[in-house]
Order: sequence, then structure tokens, then C-alpha cells
Amino acid sequence: CSEYQKLLKSDDTAKKYATAEELYTQGKEEKSNKKLRKSIRILEQIEPQFRGKPQGQRLSYMLADAHYQLGDYFVSPFEFERFQQLYANSEKTEEASFKEAASYYYRTPPYNLDQTDTKKAMEELQEYLNKYPQGEYADQASDMAAELQRKLEKKAFEIARQYHKTEFYKAAIASFTNFIADYPGTPFREEAFYYRFDSAYKLATNSVAFLMEERLKEAKTYYEAYKKYYPEGERMEEMNASLEDINSRLQNF
Amino acid sequence: LSLTAQDLPLGDSQKYVIGDISVSGVTTYSENTVIAFTGLKKGDEIYLPGQKSSDIINKLWNTKLFSDVNLYITNIEGNVADIEIEVVEVPVLHEVKFTGIKKGKKEELIDENDLKPGAKVTENLITTTQNYIANKYRKDGFLNASAEIRTRKYEDTAQANSNMVNMVVDIDKGERVKVSSIEFTGNEKMKDKKLRGALKNTKRKNLIRFWKRSKYVPGDFEEDKKKLIDRYKEYGYRDARILSDTLIKEDEKNVAIKIEVEEGDQYYIGDINFLGNAAFTDAQLERTLGLDKGDVYNGVLMDERVNSREPNKNSIANTYQNNGYLFSQVDLVETNVYNDTIDFEVRILEGKETYFDQIRVVGNTKTKDHVIYREMRTKPGQKYSQEAVVNTIRELGALGFFDAENLSPEIINPDPQAGTVDLEYQVTEAGASQIELQGGYGGGGFIGTLGLSFNNFSIQGLFDKDAYRPIPMGDGQSLSLRAQASTFYQTYSLSFREPWLGGKRPVSLSTSFSYTRQFLYDYVNREADKSRSFDILGVSVGLAKRLTSPDQFVTISNSIGFQRYNLNNYNTGLFTFGDGFSNNLYYQLGITRDNTAVNPIFPTSGSKFSVIAKLTPPYSLWNGVDYGNLENEDDYQLRDDNGNLIDNNGNRVTAENSVPDTQKVDQKKYNWLEFYKVKFSGDWYNTLFSFGPSSNLVLRTHAEYGFLGAYNKDRGVVPFERFYVGGDGLGAYSLDGRETIQLRGYPNQSIVPIDRALDARDDGATIYNKYSLELRFPITLKPQASIYALSFLEAGASFDNFRDYNPFQLNRSAGLGLRIFMPTFGLLGIDFGYGFDPIVGQQGPNGWETHFIIGQQF
Repeated sequence: CSEYQKLLKSDDTAKKYATAEELYTQGKEEKSNKKLRKSIRILEQIEPQFRGKPQGQRLSYMLADAHYQLGDYFVSPFEFERFQQLYANSEKTEEASFKEAASYYYRTPPYNLDQTDTKKAMEELQEYLNKYPQGEYADQASDMAAELQRKLEKKAFEIARQYHKTEFYKAAIASFTNFIADYPGTPFREEAFYYRFDSAYKLATNSVAFLMEERLKEAKTYYEAYKKYYPEGERMEEMNASLEDINSRLQNF
Repeated sequence: LSLTAQDLPLGDSQKYVIGDISVSGVTTYSENTVIAFTGLKKGDEIYLPGQKSSDIINKLWNTKLFSDVNLYITNIEGNVADIEIEVVEVPVLHEVKFTGIKKGKKEELIDENDLKPGAKVTENLITTTQNYIANKYRKDGFLNASAEIRTRKYEDTAQANSNMVNMVVDIDKGERVKVSSIEFTGNEKMKDKKLRGALKNTKRKNLIRFWKRSKYVPGDFEEDKKKLIDRYKEYGYRDARILSDTLIKEDEKNVAIKIEVEEGDQYYIGDINFLGNAAFTDAQLERTLGLDKGDVYNGVLMDERVNSREPNKNSIANTYQNNGYLFSQVDLVETNVYNDTIDFEVRILEGKETYFDQIRVVGNTKTKDHVIYREMRTKPGQKYSQEAVVNTIRELGALGFFDAENLSPEIINPDPQAGTVDLEYQVTEAGASQIELQGGYGGGGFIGTLGLSFNNFSIQGLFDKDAYRPIPMGDGQSLSLRAQASTFYQTYSLSFREPWLGGKRPVSLSTSFSYTRQFLYDYVNREADKSRSFDILGVSVGLAKRLTSPDQFVTISNSIGFQRYNLNNYNTGLFTFGDGFSNNLYYQLGITRDNTAVNPIFPTSGSKFSVIAKLTPPYSLWNGVDYGNLENEDDYQLRDDNGNLIDNNGNRVTAENSVPDTQKVDQKKYNWLEFYKVKFSGDWYNTLFSFGPSSNLVLRTHAEYGFLGAYNKDRGVVPFERFYVGGDGLGAYSLDGRETIQLRGYPNQSIVPIDRALDARDDGATIYNKYSLELRFPITLKPQASIYALSFLEAGASFDNFRDYNPFQLNRSAGLGLRIFMPTFGLLGIDFGYGFDPIVGQQGPNGWETHFIIGQQF
């Protein structure tokens, strides 16, 4: 039976407090998950007893931060949230508010899975930025929010591109049109214009005769849209070749 | 001076500094805890009365720990106010007892009402629990059921102020009330019997009725009265109504029902006019309606054909819903009634043709977008169709990655002006992996199996350390690993399947690898001889594609495989050479048509056919070996170690008297296997009788045939790839490409061709046929576990060649069994079969056999 186990069973709260603090500080410095986990076990025991007392604030913060340092991002936001509720006047409130939002940020899934958590994280980051526009972590928070925004953009873009790949060109055109309208500042914008054109072009060239003319003309409008925004665009050459084909086909009508 | 906050005039709030804070009424929480909940500190500034004081009360309320909260000012000195917080804690449940019911029911009631220790005992909890229990029993026919709850303070010796209560729930179920008689008055045109039949859930007592017990449930009876009126409407009595219904209590157990009806006249359909239809012509809509002038006015059917929005129902409303008209409205109006004839108008507001705009998926925490979107029948920019939504739900359910019961589409932002609608599919991930861990006796020894199968695997994820949660998932691929070992053999296999190779079309790629090592088993000493072994290495690659014509149920598959058999001093009857090797390079073509519906575990209709051909290259066409003459060639004569010709007894002989070395001859014959194999199998599923949506009595009719042949007569039929009929049909290990065919009521692999010599009975046959009839009835078809019972009649036989083939010479059997399917375990089952015919070498019927079925799907 180790010292630590004995301590866990003892009633010596003062010693527990000291040990927990030591384990937490060391664990954080040494990046030792083992020490952090040990400190959490003690903190969970004694934190309720100190609630409302002067030490409670420190304990509650350490508990939340230990989870955060461990990468336990499903627990840490709740602990930080509780800390903010219990000790609204603490000097650590801003940090807690940021770390709560950051926890949500860290647990967001890859772009191709459900993005409910991503939206939640963006809300939390925005909430922090609203509360502390000049805050210590404001730059970091806006970077995180921007990254999450790009994740949502990537998701919508890839779904639209799948319609293009699986040759559901009508669905691809509709999706890229929505994408262009919904995400004006996205880095995928040029590619979206290109794929919308390419979908329309392929839809037209695979059409029955009586639909072809209209569809070729539609494809041409998408070409113009691309050219307007990206006259020097990377895809210009490829698209010019397709345009030539469109024009020559249009002469048949 | 002492005054409460409430006594102060409103709007007269004043700023105070908080002095002492005291808490009264607490028992289980410390004063400090309660103060901490409020967030107040000594020295805080506060307006009284004011926003902050009500915030404090709210905060405490929100903890749901107190049934009453009050805030008092106990003392004011200058601007310093002392505060008292008075709380009444909600009692906590210590233990609940039930009287009047069996013990088994207790847990169920505790769960359903959340009566676990620690629950907060509020008035609301008590009332809802009482009502819940009484209703629960009423629903079961206990008309006079009642529940009474008493609480008593629980005295804990260890803790003075425990604030805990014990609860006693007294349940008086009373007797189950049955219906002794149902009497109708006022019915002249419809017979009593027909009307009683309409009351689906309210039945008279009857000894021979065991499917539906007689009971009186008020809710059901109300429903049944509507059904009674519907029954009249079906026969054109559109004015029929119930004048009165009387419940007569005969005794504690019985009630009698009297129903007085007024039938009114029978009506016929007159003219039907369509108004407002532009997208469909009158003729098209008339065809959908399917009702003509002069027909008896079946109000129920008429309503269904016009208004039904149920998927797969043929109705005018659905015709519009499935062709883009989300905002369409259809109304049926009676315009004229003369004598017994009614004229109708079907008034249609078509609305704007509607297209899908955004299609979204939420809840896919494991399965990646592309796996879901590729299965969807609803695409952006496509015309709205209710049918497409329903089909999408079905396709997503069939993937097996999601909880099929919890798939729901949600229509979002319907815009009648723009003619657009968004769709959001909510999915819930379900476990798609199976672990098989199995131990048992078979084939003369202990067999242990470890199998892992991941049905939503991601190969790409293998190279991404973040994807391990705990295994890479979400690309819809399946990967299975299996290892099986016993005292005399080991087998390892790995297979992988990508259902959408390249992501463009549903072309599935399957690959597999397997390795088996088998030692010669000495049945006398019951041990394996490790120096004599038989290894098989196999690899295969296949592509399968679902065709679009002739219909979408046909799948065509191609595969190429290679197997290498290596024998090391392994002499059995099957292999005429004990040392050597054999290679099997084959091409397999399979065509399957499967339109069984709906539940793959328990199909109730449809059929499944498959034809499979397996071929090797015809080496003997070009390799120039005269296989018929090998025995006479000098190279293939039996020799001793020094190269001298010998006979079978080891004595030296001259060239004229030399004997062929059969091992050498056979090694030459089978170095590269040469054969072709054709198999056919067909299944038909028919629902014989339906007792409800998920209780169908289903007949499965099954027939299968197999034939193994050789291109070159001299080379002969290979001793591999043969058919072994009899028993549970589990392919415990595919030693030599053999196929085990299930025939219950007989020992495993016992149905050998009838004229086999005693020493050749372990050899497989080259022709077989099998027929079976199986009656199945489901016990439960819940997604967590599907269970059904079955009884069967089977017959099958195997032959060595077509000369002996006799379709009537069959080994017959009959029996019954049970199947349990759980997604995590796969299929488990047990069958008891009686074999009516003798197996080869025995006299009299084979008798009873018990078969355990594991993981076999058919």
C-alpha cells in the first residue's frame, strides 16, 4: 500500500490539499499524465468540502485545468463552466472561459463527420471573444474559430465534389452554387467555381440532343463567372479547352 | 428590527452590504455548501429587494435539491444587512417496496418510474407513479387496478438528519376483466359476426381463441368503435353511427358490452370530378383512384386512395408527393347526394414544384460523409419525392452502421415561393463490429476460434494515428480476421472488402488471404502426428457489381483465386500421393438475384437465386501430356531409392513386369488442378399467414445442386473441391476446397454416394442435390435480438457420376429448431432433426441428431 493510497483513504484534508497541488504543478510542468491523474483523484475527493471556502477556488481551477492538461476535453469544459459559475469574480475567469471554449475546439471531429461539436465550439469561442475582445487569448481564439470555419467549408466542398465524382452533375451544380453563396471568403472558392463549370459541362455533353443546347449555354455562364473572379486562375487553361468544345458543339444548333 | 424582504414596499430598493449569512432548514448539506450555491459573500453589495435576491432564490431552485427557498433579512444595522436563507430539502428516496405484485415486476416498475435510491421524492413523482402503474395494468385488462403510495421517514442510525424516506407502493390489480358477451342492436344489414370481427382488440371470451385473449381495455375499445364505423363505411354505409354503447359489469371478472347502431342507407359512387390538376391528367388520376361510378361507396378505401400519405400506398396525395409537389393539398368533397348516389369532387392545390436544396446528415460520429452520401436517393437540385426519402432511410438502414429504428429524415426550410426544401437525416451510430470467441468439440478434438470483424472499417485510417478510436472506422469497408486452432490443425484468415472501389460506382472489391496447416490425426491414439502435415495457402481477389438491368436485384461477381496445397508425408485415402504439391488457380463467376424483403434476417417475401461457375484453365489442352498413358511411361514406374524397378512388395522386377508408381502419377495429374464446377441454389420466401406486421408465418422453399467435372477424362475428376453432404453444414475448415452441405437429421458429412466401398467413404462426392421446406415463425424481431422458431422437411443425396444419379434416391429428414440473431454475436441456433433413412453402411433410420448452428446465414 503506497503513500498515495494511504493518503486517499485518510481524513487529512490539509495534506491532501498540499499533495494534490504538488502533483498538479509537477504534472503540468513535466507533462506527466500519471501525476495529473493522481492529483485529479484527490481533487475530486476534497473539492466539494472546500466549496465556498477560500481554497475552493484554487481547487476547482486545478481540477478543471488538470483535465484540460490531460486532454480530457469531454470533462474539462464542464469543470471550467462550473468554476466560472462558482467563482465569477476570480481572476482566472477569463482563462477558464477560454479554456472551456478551447476544450470544445480540441474535441471537434474531422470535417467528414458530424459537425455539431464544431458549431458548438465556434459558439463558445465567439462567446469568449464577445466577453473579452481585448483578452489575453483573443488572437488564439480567433485563429481557432477561423480554423473551424474552414473545417465546415471543407465539409460542404467535399460533399459537393462527391456529387461531381459520382457523376450526379445536377446535384453537384446545385451544391456548388449553394457553397459559393454560403461561404464567400473560403479558400475553396476558386475550385468551387471550376467544379461547378465542369459539372455543367459534363452534364451538357452527356445530354440528349434537345436538352444539350440549354445546358451548354448554362455551362458557359459558369465559365464566365469563373473568368470574372479568377482571370489568372489555375484552371483557366483547362476550362478554355472545354469552352472551345462547347462553342463548337453550339454551332450544331 | 426584523423585517422580511417581502414587507418592503416595491421600488423602494436600497443598497446594503451583506453582513452575516445564515442558513436554516438544511439537513444533508452544510451551510457553507448552500451559501456557495448562492455565490454570495460577506461584504458583497446588494440591492434589496432587487434582481440579485431573486437570482439567489432561482439559483437554489435550479439545483432541484430544495422544495422551498426563502430569503430573509434578519437584521439591519446602518447599511449592513444580515441575511438568512431558509430552505426545505426535497426528501430523498431510500428504498421502495411494492405490495400486490410479483417480484419480477418490481424491477420493471422501478426502472420505468425512476424509483432508484437517491431519487427526489416530490408530490409530482408520487402522483405520476400512481397514475402510471394504474394505467399500466388497465392497459392489460385489469380494469379495476389502482395504486396507492405511502411514504415514511427513514431513520438512519448513523446520520441524525438523514432526510430520507421509504416508499411503499400498494398495488391492487384486481381481476383481469374479460368480455362475456358483445351484443349489437339496430343492425339489420350487417351480421353480428361481421361487426364483432371489426372490434379488433375487444373480443369475447372463447376457449379456442388463444391468439388474442379476451380482455376489456377502455382505450382499445374506443379505437374499436371507430373501426366498427369504418367497417360500415367499407360497405357504403357512410351515415352509420353508434347510438350508444353500454358496459354492464356482471361480476369482478366479467363485463358485457351492448352496442346500439344506426346503419343508415347504403350509398353508391356517382360522378367524380377533378379540380385544379395540371401536372396530371384526369385519366391518370382516375387510374390512381381505381374507383368507378356505380361502385359501392367504400368510404375507407376512397379516403385512402385520395388522401393516404403512407409510403408505398397508391393514392392521389402520394402521386403528388412523389413527383415534386411537396406543398400539394388534396381534398375530397361530396358535391351532390341524390337517392343513394353521391357525386364527388377531388379538389387539388398543386402548389409549386419543389426541389431539394441542401441535404445534410447529422449524428455520424464514426461513419464518414462520403459513405452516407453515396447511398442517398435524395440529391440537391432533384425533384422532391417522398418515396426517395423513404428509400434513402431504407438504404441507410441496410448499411448496418446505424440504428435502423432511429433513422429519421427532417424537412427543413420548406419554401413554397421558391419551391425548395432542405432535408436533414439524423442518424445514430450502432456497433458495427463483431467479436467471435468460441471453443468447442468437433472433428475429434477441442477447437478454439478467435474472430474479429469490423464492418465499418477504414484502411486509410491505419496510417493516421488520430483515427484509432480505438480502431480506424468510418469508410464503410469490412475487415475480418480469424484464427482457429485445434490439436491437429490451425487456420488463419484475413479478408477485406471495399464496397465502392474508387468511390465512383458501387463496385465492390474483395480480397482474402488464408493459411491452413493440418497434421495427420491418429484416431486410435487421439493425437496429431506433427511430422506429417498438409499446408494450404490461399489468396483471392474479386470484383462484384450490382447491375441495373434486367433489374436492380442482380449482382454479378468475378474472382480469381489461387491455392497451393503442400503435402508432407500426409497419406490419406483422399490424396493418393503423400508427398508433393498441388496448385489450384481458378476463375469464378457468380450471378445472384436477391429480392428478398424486408428484414435480411427474417425475409417474408421474395426469392434468392444464385448460379456459380468455378473453372481452371484446361492445361491438358496444350501441355501435351498423355495422362492416360502415364502409367506405362518409363519415368512413372515404381523404383527403389537406387532407381531400380520394383513391384509393390519392394522386390526387384524387370522392365516387362514393372508396376506404375501411383503417387508419382497422381502428383503429375494434380500438380495444377484442372476442373470445372457449377452450383445452383434457389430460395423462395412466402408469407403463409400474417398475424400482424412483424409476426408472419413464412415458408422457405429451398433447392440446390452442385456438379464437379473434368475437362480431360484421362486426367480425371480432382479429389479437391468436392461436396460433403450431411449435418450442420458448417464449414469448420476448408481442408481441400471442400464444400459442406447442410442436411439436418444426419451426422456431419455422412451422406456419401450409396455404393461407396468402405474405405472410400471419407471421399467427397462430385454431384449432389438438396431440397428443403422450412416453416418459420418469429418470436421477436427487435433489432437487439431477432428470434424465430422453425420446423423443416429436408432431403438430399450425393453421387459419384451421372450414371448413378437418381433424383428420387434421397435421404430424408424432419425436425425443428430455433434461431437467435444478435448484431454483436451473429446467428446462433439449434436444430433437432430426425433422419428417416439409413446412412451408408447402416440399417434402419438414422434417428435423431442435434445440430448447433453458429454464424451461418441463409
